[in-house]
Amino acid sequence: MRKKKIIVKDIYKSFKEKVVLNKLNLDVYESESLSIIGESGSGKSILTRCIVGLLKYDNGSISFGNLNNINNLNDKEKMDYMSKFGILFQNSALLDSLNIKENLKFASKQDSFNKILDEVGLPNSILKKYPSELSVGMQKRVGLARAILKKPEVLILDEPTTGLDPIIARQINSLIKNLVKKSKITTITVTHDMESVYEFADYVAFLKKGIIEWYGKARKINKSRNSSVINFIKGIN
Amino acid sequence: MTRLLSSALTLTKRLFKIIFSFFYSIGEIVEFFLKCVKYFITEKFYVNIFLKQFLKIGFNSLPVVGLTSIFTGMVLALQSYTGFSRFSAESAIPNVVVLSITRELAPVLAGLMVAGRSGAAIAAEIGTMKVTEQIDALKTLSTNPFNYLIIPRILAGIISLPLLVIVGDIIGVMGGYLICVNLLNFNPTVYLQNTYNFVEFIDVFSGLVKASVFGFLITFMGCYHGFNAKGGAQGVGQSTTYSVVSSSILILLMNYIITSFFFRL
Repeated sequence: MRKKKIIVKDIYKSFKEKVVLNKLNLDVYESESLSIIGESGSGKSILTRCIVGLLKYDNGSISFGNLNNINNLNDKEKMDYMSKFGILFQNSALLDSLNIKENLKFASKQDSFNKILDEVGLPNSILKKYPSELSVGMQKRVGLARAILKKPEVLILDEPTTGLDPIIARQINSLIKNLVKKSKITTITVTHDMESVYEFADYVAFLKKGIIEWYGKARKINKSRNSSVINFIKGIN
Repeated sequence: MTRLLSSALTLTKRLFKIIFSFFYSIGEIVEFFLKCVKYFITEKFYVNIFLKQFLKIGFNSLPVVGLTSIFTGMVLALQSYTGFSRFSAESAIPNVVVLSITRELAPVLAGLMVAGRSGAAIAAEIGTMKVTEQIDALKTLSTNPFNYLIIPRILAGIISLPLLVIVGDIIGVMGGYLICVNLLNFNPTVYLQNTYNFVEFIDVFSGLVKASVFGFLITFMGCYHGFNAKGGAQGVGQSTTYSVVSSSILILLMNYIITSFFFRL
């Protein structure tokens, strides 16, 4: 029996005249991995930012467990709410004035990070290095380590393979697959990399012009008859 | 006639838009300030970040403030001599130098130099953090960016600027001393005695009050513009420019207001 973790209902978000999310509905289920795909500018990242509480939506509601409309939370409640999420940002978003150990300490006060670094395939020697001294792939791994270190209820991965070469992208996908499947954590992945979808998504939501145009099991996406989805997969405009 | 009416209408619309956006910006700045006060009172204070910023804004600005002060003191002595020698009032030079430096030049010049150096750096650093989602990352890691980034910088500015100005006062007076003693053949003891006898507590104090206010303005505007940076590198550059321009203008404006306040005392 699937249990709803996050309910997005009739969400509407616009920036001046530009409507980004147009009364969008989406359910995220517990312990499942959902991939949100779509063209650039379709509103994928805005949707996740609204879900996390980093951005206020204009209308509609987002519910998380017992919380009914996260737009109504006060500052303190919002901070508590955000702490339920572990996020791997598109550019990793490591604090560049701090070394890797200090970055990881934001997520957990522990002194040793050997285990988590081992999980994401990084050596201990990087702890004293600064983000600018690491490759983009290594930064993504540290970002992932930071996201899962605080044992979040929901893991958000924003374009986890963007900017990586195919080999590193495959390694990151496989790493995420192992982590997600092992911990059974609820995961929302924003991507336009179909390799990521095939690798670790249970369900897929295809976003176009601010609405979910297609939703279904990941393994069935190739059989979809929706022309936008077919074109997206084939890489046709 | 209709064309004229339409042009007038467009002009009025634009004017209202400008007035509205001006008051909107004021409202945003006030809201930002109130948030700083609220989080300073209610949430964690990062002492180590404050100390780091204190060193960055205060200690690291010493060379630039020192150089500005010494040259200003030297120029002031030379220019005063040019004027005062015309009516045989050369003995008043030490008094003019110390009064101008402590009351006016050291705080204003230190303020403007720190605005260009540290204010710009603050806006650029926080702006980059904003556009690269580092501030969002902080929020999701249960860290209030106001407490972690903004409040320590503002407090460091408020406290370090007066200390910089004290150093600037001493170096500025010494600049005047060097010129008067070595170039204009003043008696060193008399020069220092004149300076010491003439300067009053209120002269130094008013300069330090100015410095504190300037320190607040520089760091606050740097943080505010950095925190509201949008877009990419261009947005960060713009926030840096806004920070330096707005804090410089506010320094000059507040300088007049504080001066007129102390003038009445």
